[in-house]
Amino acid sequence: MAEGTVRGEFLLEMNGIDKRFQGVHALKRCSINLRAGEVLALVGENGAGKSTMMKILTGIHSPDEGEILFYGQKVDFKTPKAAQDAGISIVHQELNLMNHLTVAQNIFIGRESKGFFLDEKSINQKSAALFERLGVKIDPQEKVQNLTVGKQQIVEIAKAISYDSKIIIFDEPTATLTDAEIDVLFEIIAELRDKGVGMIYISHRMDEIKRITDRITVLRDGEFIGTKNTAQIEIGEVIQMMIGRVTYEEPKQASTVPEGAPVVLRVENLSSVDVKGISFELHKGEILGFAGLMGAGRTETARLIFGADKRWSGDIFINGKKVEINSPADAVRNGIGYLSEDRKRFGLAVGMSVSANAVMASLDNYTSGGFINDTKIRAVSKEYVEKINVKTPSVGQTVKNLSGGNQQKVVIAKWLIRNCDVLIFDEPTRGIDVGAKSEIYKLMNALAENGKSIIMISSELPELIRMSDRILVMCEGAHTGTMPIEEADQHAIMTLATQKS
Amino acid sequence: MKKTLAIALALVMSVAIFAACAPSPAPATPAPAAPAANAPAADTPATDAGDGEELYISIISKGFQHQFWQAVYAGARAAAEEYGVSIFFDGPESEADIDVQVNMLNQQLALNPDAIALAALSTDAVLSQLQQAYDSGIPVVGFDSGVPDAPAGQVLANASTDNDAAAALGAEGMFPAIQDQIAAATADSPVIIAVLSQDVTSESITGRTRGFAQRMLTLAGGVNDSVAITGGFGAINTGDADAAVRIEVIVGATPSIVDMTSAANGILTMPGLAGVFASNEGAANGILAAINAGASVPEDVRIVGFDAGTVQKAAVQAGIFMGAITQDPFHIGYYSVSLAVRAVRGESISDVDTGARWWDASNMNDPDIALLLYD
Amino acid sequence: MGDRVKKIQLQKLLAFGSLVILYLFFAYAGRNFVTVPTTLNILAQSYFVGFLAIGVTFVIITGGIDLSIGTVMICSALVGGELYRIHDMPLWICIIAMILVGTTFGLFNGVMVTKVGLPPFIATLGTMMVSMGLGSIITNVQSRTFPTILEADAWFARVFLRSEGNFPMGAVFLGSYLIITFIILNKTKLGRYIYAVGSNEEAVRLSGVNASNWKLAAYVISGLSAGIAAIFFSAAYTVIVPGTGQGFELSAIAAVVIGGTSLSGGVGSVTGTIIGVFIMSVLTNGLVSMGLPAPYQVFFTGVVVIVAVFMDIQRTKKANQVKRK
Repeated sequence: MAEGTVRGEFLLEMNGIDKRFQGVHALKRCSINLRAGEVLALVGENGAGKSTMMKILTGIHSPDEGEILFYGQKVDFKTPKAAQDAGISIVHQELNLMNHLTVAQNIFIGRESKGFFLDEKSINQKSAALFERLGVKIDPQEKVQNLTVGKQQIVEIAKAISYDSKIIIFDEPTATLTDAEIDVLFEIIAELRDKGVGMIYISHRMDEIKRITDRITVLRDGEFIGTKNTAQIEIGEVIQMMIGRVTYEEPKQASTVPEGAPVVLRVENLSSVDVKGISFELHKGEILGFAGLMGAGRTETARLIFGADKRWSGDIFINGKKVEINSPADAVRNGIGYLSEDRKRFGLAVGMSVSANAVMASLDNYTSGGFINDTKIRAVSKEYVEKINVKTPSVGQTVKNLSGGNQQKVVIAKWLIRNCDVLIFDEPTRGIDVGAKSEIYKLMNALAENGKSIIMISSELPELIRMSDRILVMCEGAHTGTMPIEEADQHAIMTLATQKS
Repeated sequence: MKKTLAIALALVMSVAIFAACAPSPAPATPAPAAPAANAPAADTPATDAGDGEELYISIISKGFQHQFWQAVYAGARAAAEEYGVSIFFDGPESEADIDVQVNMLNQQLALNPDAIALAALSTDAVLSQLQQAYDSGIPVVGFDSGVPDAPAGQVLANASTDNDAAAALGAEGMFPAIQDQIAAATADSPVIIAVLSQDVTSESITGRTRGFAQRMLTLAGGVNDSVAITGGFGAINTGDADAAVRIEVIVGATPSIVDMTSAANGILTMPGLAGVFASNEGAANGILAAINAGASVPEDVRIVGFDAGTVQKAAVQAGIFMGAITQDPFHIGYYSVSLAVRAVRGESISDVDTGARWWDASNMNDPDIALLLYD
Repeated sequence: MGDRVKKIQLQKLLAFGSLVILYLFFAYAGRNFVTVPTTLNILAQSYFVGFLAIGVTFVIITGGIDLSIGTVMICSALVGGELYRIHDMPLWICIIAMILVGTTFGLFNGVMVTKVGLPPFIATLGTMMVSMGLGSIITNVQSRTFPTILEADAWFARVFLRSEGNFPMGAVFLGSYLIITFIILNKTKLGRYIYAVGSNEEAVRLSGVNASNWKLAAYVISGLSAGIAAIFFSAAYTVIVPGTGQGFELSAIAAVVIGGTSLSGGVGSVTGTIIGVFIMSVLTNGLVSMGLPAPYQVFFTGVVVIVAVFMDIQRTKKANQVKRK
């Protein structure tokens, strides 16, 4: 532990913070504190108040009540810049980068030079020094849009560090990182801790929290629940504090697919620019896990099956019959539904209502004579909202006001209403909190039991092992192996996932 | 607070500039145009109190921005004073704004005027309005190009220039100067007489284009066996495109000054060019802008314009244009009101040809011509 | 990195290549296309569109649009003409007034977009009508003229259009403006923030930069450029007709897109824009020189604009593909 702990002084104290947004009581006299040289996990379900708390700390919102003490002094940041100047930086969950600018230009945006003219050389040098210090290889003159998502995340972190921050907030920093990149990030965090930087680490990944943080503060429904030393608490306990109840889907011990279940989907020798000759079978009622590192070609394979990208070769068979799938419309006609990893971009019209989204793929069935039958749409939406337990005040609610988990459920409802037999879930729990994750798992199991066949793409191995009946592993676009769940463990999967073909 | 301040600042700055430029920006009080001073009416403006007995005549023109229309307006005001009637005069900003003109007409019809004088951009677009006026007993007279092919009885008479005849005057004026070139032309070294037109849809411009081309065809046919009309106005094309003498109609891609200038530049670089006829002020401006930008007029090429305007007058004065045709905008305006008033009084009226005159450097300062040449 | 640079260079080379091919094509197929008058006319037409297009490039890079530039230019020119002909002001004062009017409209657009929060399309559409109406009001809907080469104050055309020896003076001004704006976009903070705002405005804001002020500056530059364009328009065409100007903004925006600036923001260059401007003016004059009737000229110009926008979409698609990998 860093010396700050010994002295027992707090670098930051947020006391009795209260905040209301148009009637919604977002924070109820919430308090957290942070020592120098410590990593504090801030956990809670979505809507628990973590983001609001951090937005108040970084000057985006101002609190209705309560005080913030920084180095024991009362502070009141009016703008993000004020907080930044004081030494409080945040690495945003949604990447906040300017894709068309270079790495160095992004890091030093707002701090280019004293005068009107730019000094490109100096910011390139400073950026290079920064990356050297972090031990990562990134060209400061590369455009951000050409970097992998993981490297973009590192650029964000480098930007936060470059402010010589006393406090750095990490908001779900690993959601898009590969394991190797996570290791790099954790080394960086450890180094910063040694230098006395206080860090607030927001994540849903309990294993990471266990690995990197010193203390854990739990929020629920805008209230402070408690702070525990990481070393002295089990994950189960943290989750219980977060959700107030224990519900967690048990891992699958063996495949639940009966012997001789018919093959619903067969793919032969599928290939494209990113995919090299993939073949596999999917049985009725089966959950087939797709494992692999970032860029292994899993999403690309799914998009080929769904007809979203152009394929070079390969055949697709549904129920033993060869089908031509050249567009998503073809795929949907053949009963294939795809739940994109990026819900907001590809899965939902977030500005529209729950019911409008729910029938988006099957509007033809709810239209007569060119007119939309709203009564029927509301009825069917309501039926599915209840069936899969979407938490929404009404089916007329705008989707963007729902939590991530409930948004995901709306996407699921969309494909269920379309009556798809094959569902491809691409990172179904990304950005979803623990309680909602558990519900998505339950829902997927229930779907499989009812005879739907599921392909599940996930970068979280524990989740894949918990859910799948079989696991298919890919590496660099090629299929490197398939294993039944009885034989699957993280070690075996990682071996195949890093096996060059 | 900041927001309000910013808006206020922008408004204040804008207003400051506008105020500096336009001390009296009221659109309803244009400065009197030159011909007004010479009008056959009383010099003092009519100051009759609105006693309700006064006739109200709506005049809808095809435009407002060319100085031509200002001269029409001056004539209309002169007649209004003479007859003691009140007039409304307006027109769309561009001759392409058929819908704007229709709206103006509708608004005036709603006011139930005693008579309407109309220079229609499109007869088809105002058919129902004409019917409505007819049904309500509001007499309609045409002016300038009038209301061509209007249903019988709905437009009582026109005060207009005979565009065909006016443009033919241009051909007659130009021909003697280029007669020798035309006579000498052969299929191997052809001679071109170009007509630059802003469009081939408006009646007045098509009339002038046709009038010039056909009169030139006749005149040139007298000295050369091989003459043809070619180019962008298909309805009047005759003869062989390889003829020794070609009367070629060129139309701008759009009526914009930029496209008219490009078209004019194209004409001025044609080999064998002998003469150019600009069928309205916009076409003349296009030719002069091309010359201003660097196009040169070959030694023996004659250019004839139409109407007047500051720029065209300067070009005639400087000898760039050999001459031009002027209509009599003042009398067009004058007779539009006169015809309307007589129609309201129940007198029988018939078309008035307001006439056209050839003008050039030699006569442009004669009082009777100068009166017609608006700035 | 190297590949990326090459790709961008290739695109610009492509645009420049199209310009050269287009020119050679008309030199072969057109009637008297390669002549001094035609060249001077192409240039005269490119001056004002060039200034308009460079200005609106700034706004388009921020991800916005300025539809008012054509009518703002005409309004500025009408104010200048009104001062010159009616109020007998010295010509140089009128020139300054033209620039001021344009800049004021730019400021107005910027305030409407960044402070009041109107969408750029709506705000500048409003300004388009406001400026068109205002020009008519100020002049009582009468055209205003500027001195030609033959009149008093001929220096106006001699300085801004062509010199005694037919030297294209406008090209000198446009070239200088190109260099200045190139430096602003690539070497100054202003340029950096204009690209950054177009790429991700929220990210700029969260970096503690006052994004809206820099965005406002882009609109001011667009207005200023329209004011300058008014000078060159007046010098070339001398007769300014109220109620016109609509359509010039589309020529300018088309040139910007042809030059490789993306309508979705974040990407673009003024050098590309100038190439686009010349592609447009060579095209219109070339079609005239081929003796094609008016409807064909309009048709082919439309085709080129569609092709350019199609290329813009392809570019965006490619950029997204890179990102996904």
